[in-house]
Amino acid sequence: MNVGVAHSDSNPTHFYFNSKGIWLTYLLLVFGVHLLLLSVPFFSVAVAWTLTNVLHDVSMFVMLHVTKGTPWETSDQGIARTETQWEQIDFGKQFTATKKFLTTVPVVLFFLASFYSRYDKYHFVINASVLALNLIPKLPQLHKVRLFGINKY
Amino acid sequence: MAVIPATWDMYDLIQGVLQAPWYHVVFEVALVLLIMKIYYSQSFSPEKTVLTEKEKETLIEEWVPEPLAPDVPDDHPILKVMEKYCIEGQNGKYVKVNGKSCINLATFNFLSMVGNKEIEDVALKALKVYGVGSCGPRGFYGTMDVHIQLEEDLAKFMNCEEAILYSYGFATIASAIPAYSKRGDIIYVDENVSFAVQKGLTASRSHIRWFRHNDMEHLESLLIEQSKLDKKNPKKAKVTRRFIIAEGLYLNSGHICPLPKLVELKWKYKVRIFLEETMSFGVLGATGRGVTEHFEISPDHIDLISCSLETAFGSTGGFCCGKKFIIDHQRLSGLGYCFSASQPPMLASAAIQALKMLQAKPHLLVDLRENRVKVLGDSISPIKHLALAEPAGDPGLDLRTLEMVVDMAMNESVALTVSRYLEPEEHLPKDPSIRLSVNCELAQDEINKAVDVIQRSFQSVLEKLSTRSPDVSSPLDSVQEMKKSEVASR
Repeated sequence: MNVGVAHSDSNPTHFYFNSKGIWLTYLLLVFGVHLLLLSVPFFSVAVAWTLTNVLHDVSMFVMLHVTKGTPWETSDQGIARTETQWEQIDFGKQFTATKKFLTTVPVVLFFLASFYSRYDKYHFVINASVLALNLIPKLPQLHKVRLFGINKY
Repeated sequence: MAVIPATWDMYDLIQGVLQAPWYHVVFEVALVLLIMKIYYSQSFSPEKTVLTEKEKETLIEEWVPEPLAPDVPDDHPILKVMEKYCIEGQNGKYVKVNGKSCINLATFNFLSMVGNKEIEDVALKALKVYGVGSCGPRGFYGTMDVHIQLEEDLAKFMNCEEAILYSYGFATIASAIPAYSKRGDIIYVDENVSFAVQKGLTASRSHIRWFRHNDMEHLESLLIEQSKLDKKNPKKAKVTRRFIIAEGLYLNSGHICPLPKLVELKWKYKVRIFLEETMSFGVLGATGRGVTEHFEISPDHIDLISCSLETAFGSTGGFCCGKKFIIDHQRLSGLGYCFSASQPPMLASAAIQALKMLQAKPHLLVDLRENRVKVLGDSISPIKHLALAEPAGDPGLDLRTLEMVVDMAMNESVALTVSRYLEPEEHLPKDPSIRLSVNCELAQDEINKAVDVIQRSFQSVLEKLSTRSPDVSSPLDSVQEMKKSEVASR
């Protein structure tokens, strides 16, 4: 991406989730990982779905809500250093299309995992807790809030 | 096999939906409601303040449009000076003001490189080879062999690994500071730094901690204060960069920075030092390498040295030097380097020649030093400020008094200048003063004459003012006293 040229934003993290085909790529990637897990012989369908859900939610949590800063050398004098990826997407605006999409995906995955695990209570506890990890930090009330100072600097 | 868990077919799974436990149903309904709510919510920016209609109206009523062009008063000092003094030719040792040749004590031509015939010849030769401008920034097509040669020569001269050349002296330090210091970092800086440094501080968006001019105890107390805060919050301390910024020779006061103490504090409190050597480069030190040589401190102790080629070297531009990994960072992050056309090649050639001459003729420095000793007492600095010992309390009045002295001296063929500042933009209000800067070529009798003229001008201005209006006489009495004591010592 061209950073710092005349017609670019200084920080591509603001908008890369709006580029063409990236939603589809993301969904295909999740589906691909699910197929891989399904092909492991001693995983049942239920375990494969719960694992898909857990892997997806934990990695998205790390990528969107733990990682701060950008991989680009930006001209914002380091303002992105203190913001997570989620807070940078769409310039920190709430309820944009990208953000709605990113919130829906873990919920749909949770529904699927619940369905394929036949509403088993152990699977429910695991799936619901990783889902919480993905939904709670996305709330607009928690924008730039660091609970107990975790991950502040 | 027992290890493989049960796998249901689709019929079992649909039966599972009908037998789902109640908490699961409640949870899923809640999730569906949440998603619905999110889908029907308007997007908004959490940082934006939302105004009510009433607040909007009051804001509109309060708004007064600013004039398209600022109102410049007719008696603006710059306009007045432009009308009063017209300069012809070069600002060398002598300057032709209104057709009259005056001794020049107003420009920073310390080594008399301006108007030097040898440099002029080299620059003209380069002009015939390269043309006038370089027509592009260094990173595109503005790099000529002379730029690279000048960078290499300067790095070698300063005993540093690498040097980076800027096309404008002011932009050198103003670009270097924000290239390293970012939001959330801390900069300790002397209160009396020049305007270019102040602009760099603003652009860095860092936290600024001002310490009193050359007051190392105050600086240390600030550093101790910060180290206590750091102990409380080590996570924050780990990601905070710290810098001390000082000038080698202060333009605004003529003082030299206490470098040994600064270096000691640097190692003790783990701070980086940036030195601004616009005035001291080519002036201080046995061979003109600046304040590091003056104190015999290896440049390895200083993280970044920023110098200007516009003062002692009489060219344009500036350069930063230091370790390779530090300097290289500026080739992509120094805004003045990346986004402005490079130095005209003929001026780079002029600077190369000036550097050669400085190395070939070290007596230039001796002459310069002798000159300052004879003119202005024991301090080694070639810049001096003459200020009123007891100012009237009104800077405008003091400034006018000093301007009268300047006019008087100009009549007697000595060109002086009061120090001008962009007052509303400066960090601290500056005391009005007359700024003297000497030149290595000035001969003994010329200096004696200049001192004489300054003395006489102060005296006559004082007499005039004290007879005309009694209420300004008291500060001007002090002018006379100051003149007698100060010219000798300060």
